[in-house]
Amino acid sequence: MERIRKNKISRSDPKKVPHGTPLDKTPDLNLGTNIIPKERYTSSEFMEKEWDAIWSKVWLLGCREDQIPEHGDFICTNIGRESVLLVRQENGQIKAFHNVCMHRGNRLADEGLWNATSFVCGYHGWEYDSDGTFVDIPDLETFPQGKPPCNGLAELPCGTWASFVWFSLNTEVESLEEYLGELVGHFEPYHFERMAMTRWVTAEWNCNWKAGVDAFAEAYHTSITHPQLLWYQEDFDVQIDLYDRHSRYLIPFGLLSPRVESVGEIPPPLKHLLTSAGMDPASYEGPINGIREAVQQYKRTTQEEQGKDFSDLHDEQLTDDYNYLVFPNVTTNMHSDDLMLFRHRPHPIDPNKMLFDIWMFELIPEGEEWPELPRHDFRPEGSTRSLGLVIDQDASNLASVQAGMQSAGYPGLWLSDQELRLRHFHKTISDYVGE
Amino acid sequence: MELNLKGKRAIIPASTKGILRRVVDQLIDEGCDVALCSRSDDTVARTLRELSGGRGNAIGRACDVTDKEDYEAWIEEMVEQMGGVDIFIPGVSAGGGADSERSWWKSFEVDVLSTVRGCEVVIPHMRESGGGAITFITTTASVETFGGPQAYNAMKGSLLVYAKQLSQDVGKDNIRVNCVSPGPIYFEGGSWQMLKDTMAKWFAKIERDHPTGRLGTPEEVSNCIVFLSSPAASWVSGTNLMVDGGFTKRVQF
Repeated sequence: MERIRKNKISRSDPKKVPHGTPLDKTPDLNLGTNIIPKERYTSSEFMEKEWDAIWSKVWLLGCREDQIPEHGDFICTNIGRESVLLVRQENGQIKAFHNVCMHRGNRLADEGLWNATSFVCGYHGWEYDSDGTFVDIPDLETFPQGKPPCNGLAELPCGTWASFVWFSLNTEVESLEEYLGELVGHFEPYHFERMAMTRWVTAEWNCNWKAGVDAFAEAYHTSITHPQLLWYQEDFDVQIDLYDRHSRYLIPFGLLSPRVESVGEIPPPLKHLLTSAGMDPASYEGPINGIREAVQQYKRTTQEEQGKDFSDLHDEQLTDDYNYLVFPNVTTNMHSDDLMLFRHRPHPIDPNKMLFDIWMFELIPEGEEWPELPRHDFRPEGSTRSLGLVIDQDASNLASVQAGMQSAGYPGLWLSDQELRLRHFHKTISDYVGE
Repeated sequence: MELNLKGKRAIIPASTKGILRRVVDQLIDEGCDVALCSRSDDTVARTLRELSGGRGNAIGRACDVTDKEDYEAWIEEMVEQMGGVDIFIPGVSAGGGADSERSWWKSFEVDVLSTVRGCEVVIPHMRESGGGAITFITTTASVETFGGPQAYNAMKGSLLVYAKQLSQDVGKDNIRVNCVSPGPIYFEGGSWQMLKDTMAKWFAKIERDHPTGRLGTPEEVSNCIVFLSSPAASWVSGTNLMVDGGFTKRVQF
């Protein structure tokens, strides 16, 4: 679709909130213009390399801290061929363990959120304390070699950041802070700990996990895949920032795309933006493309009476979408009042499949009651239940992309500057796998 | 059929795009002089440039039709510049929406009050010159439930009542008053383009609800507006012409 104008987009003055999320545009790296070979998405061999060099080496997102508040609360989450237990300890700390009984290799728990005073293997009854140590090995006297010298479950590195729990399958991994690098300080101003988890969905998708990441790391597809968003957001003038291994782009919300003309009335998505900020669309007299700034001002001036504290956020964060990729597989849509976080997990063995996790959070105004934690909603392959319009639109592309990539007529990804984050993503992957 | 529009003088507020813009184009082609306005100077200037060199002349300036003084002054200026007025086609609207009480005030002010004010200014001039034609642009949403109860439907409905009763009052002065009620009309830059993108499912349903499976075009409505506003429709007054491709399902006795 043709662009018919350049939008005037106000940017915040970083000096007004000096401790806020860094706003600086990073220099655009010259990452070349090479084709990204499609085998990265389709071959089992490359998948194996990713396992060895990435999944088993990096820090990975496990859960939210507040999903496991009490001693014995635990999350079981799978990643590729591995499964991990994240367990709240008696002293309030969180520990991560391989989800496997040291006896015959049985998994101790299924994916999900649970509580247990101890882990008991369903095969022969080996029992582990919530700190991972052996409690009971039935008929221990029949093991002439005694109990395994590990003394319990295999522990993994675990850490917390921005209200989330992270773990690594690599016992030699650098510190979480080192791994996050420049991103430390970026998320904190949103105070995600003030947001309640409202949705927890996992969908099986027929595409490679990287195709999932790709779909949320460029705005080039907006006008064709999500035409409704043209009446809500900028889709061309977006700031792209590339960090060491992570990246982000900043998408202005609350205005018309440069690809559409005002029709003289406020489009439904912008009306929704106004009403959710507490404003009356019928009383808004300014130009359509002034809605973004009007909403920012309104939220700023009414935050106190709305029981919200946006003092650490820049004005543009009160409307815009700050979209990060925390390498390798977490993409975020961060807003002042909500967070949509996606986790893109590889299938245990098939490069043509992935697990797509949707975690939604909403800011709860001061003094208001928090909703109950959401139950895990699993959507197996072939489920036709909607995940929401935008995600449904992306999902319908992805299965088709993965099928198309198998074609002998397709060599690989031919990327534009609008897709620079995808190029950077692949450069980071190359740095890890060494090719 | 001869429309006999050559030399007629038409005032059409807020007519730089969509249906009313097509009306302007057609009247110019028929040899009318046309006065237009929009809220923006740039838009008016651009439209006048596009219309220059046609059979009839186009004039206009920026004007806010909700500003009583400015709007009435604009009409008087246009009448003076054209040396009179034979045709008045008010069709400005605040659009749909049921956001708050303010939606009702806005609809009343933009859709109803500007139409009434306009009529009160043009009618004495028409009377003086021996007659004229007034055509309101109303909507099918006034005669059948559509898009939920809202100010747009009700306020446009009040214009149907006003038009009919006005036609009784000014008939003796050889002034005809009619309404044209379009159904959903699609054009680039129009509300239905936006609704196609933002409410795709609903849009598809509306398309299906049309016997021909499509929405109307601005030309299909402007043809009817031009006809009703022309001397060729001299024996038509006080009516409401549905221009909807059969979209509405009521029986019109």
